[in-house]
Amino acid sequence: MKEIERGGIPVVHVCTIVPISQTVGANRIVPAVAIPHPLGDPTRTHEEEVQIRRNLVLKALKALGTEVHEQTVFTD
Amino acid sequence: MKLELHKMQIKSMAWGAKTGVKDGVLSVCKEDVLSLVKTDPNFLKVEVDLALPGDKTRIIPVKDVVEPRCKLEGKNGIFPGMISDVETVGYGKTLVLEGAAVVTCGKVVGFQEGIIDMSGPAADYTPFAHTCNLVLVVDPVEGLERHDYEASLRIAGLKVAEFLAKSAAGMPADSVEAYEAKPLKEAMTDYPGLPKVAYLYMLQSQGLLHDTYVYGVDAKKILPTLINFTEVFDGAIVSGNCVSACDKNSTYYHLNNPIIKAMAARHGKDYNFVGVIITNENVTLADKKRSSSYAVKLAQTLGVDGLLISEEGFGNPDADLIMNCRKAENAGIRTVLVTDEYAGRDGASQSLADAAKEADAVVTAGNANEIIILPAMEKVIGYPTYADVIAGGFQGSLRQDGSIEVELQAITGATSELGFTRISAITI
Repeated sequence: MKEIERGGIPVVHVCTIVPISQTVGANRIVPAVAIPHPLGDPTRTHEEEVQIRRNLVLKALKALGTEVHEQTVFTD
Repeated sequence: MKLELHKMQIKSMAWGAKTGVKDGVLSVCKEDVLSLVKTDPNFLKVEVDLALPGDKTRIIPVKDVVEPRCKLEGKNGIFPGMISDVETVGYGKTLVLEGAAVVTCGKVVGFQEGIIDMSGPAADYTPFAHTCNLVLVVDPVEGLERHDYEASLRIAGLKVAEFLAKSAAGMPADSVEAYEAKPLKEAMTDYPGLPKVAYLYMLQSQGLLHDTYVYGVDAKKILPTLINFTEVFDGAIVSGNCVSACDKNSTYYHLNNPIIKAMAARHGKDYNFVGVIITNENVTLADKKRSSSYAVKLAQTLGVDGLLISEEGFGNPDADLIMNCRKAENAGIRTVLVTDEYAGRDGASQSLADAAKEADAVVTAGNANEIIILPAMEKVIGYPTYADVIAGGFQGSLRQDGSIEVELQAITGATSELGFTRISAITI
């Protein structure tokens, strides 16, 4: 993550435990669902899961294109 | 709440026509044990075996270890919510067969169980090389879900442990230890000159067979709460864990929690040990935030000056550990953390997945990534091929001559975060 950014390419860290992401120095952080299922939720229907995934990916893409000057958590 | 532990020292274990203790030898009637366990329709095949200290025997893959205990006095039985009613335990009298253990062995989640060697280099790392072990090897019926297999194996171990202890009920104990967990009204005013401390006891609750039970309740569903330490000695906390063997708390450790024992021993001398808070290690950020805030709030409600925090497992729970530490320290409560490390085979990597400057008093149980070579044993109880897939093992771990090259991670209890270990280090 850090090496990629050092090479000039922005990185988004999609991560469930935001404090760890902050500790390791991620600059753009998108909170995920849960550790065993970061991009889904087995308690939801298939259609709802698709929506959860779509929202997370769109949020991550938006974060990727956002200029940041400090560690930023993209909550919405 | 007063509890007496009536301890009988078990020096050896042998098969016999009748189950019972004589002159420190626990005789076990194999048929009795088999008939007790075989009643579970989830089991296809049940085998029982003995593994004694010094034997050239390996047990793999180990799921849980349980100390034989039963109630002598007190309304409820041992392991409430599991094999006894859900009523309160932790008072009266409890019989302990010290030196004996029931080891459950099965292919529940092959890669997340452990190894016990009864002799050789690994014997220094696992306390269960030094207990007389009755080993249950249980195969499930075809198609049984893993979580049902785990639940059945867990109950089988607890039942056999109680059965063994009951066989000696009524005989004189070798020693009696008396404990008292006082009501808060008294605990709060005792020893006015001494600092108040509590113990924050983290329980593995990630789910997917990484579970701990409190009076039968899945710990991931609890809010942090208070428990009298004597309840822990009576099996109120039971392991349902299939996770890296080195630092999961087997049921045996809960029953004998060395941190609780040490705090009880120093109570009234160095500090006032006012209570135990249990908390969980769940998998969402919201759960982690809620539980750490709630646990620290309970510590504040108790008005403690210090908090001793023990972790169970590693990685994900490191985040809970650090949250607990940071929130307590920011509330003015000094903390000491007990953990272990995954610092790579050379010890050069970051030890925990999370860190904080507030965590300035940490006790480590060792580096679980250290490599150890386990020589071939004359006898293997269980399924040796699991050495290749066990956490801490790798393709080729099991060599052709029967020896095994693994990380300490694979050895049951090698880096216990309750300090139930035999190896320590001092700085010179």
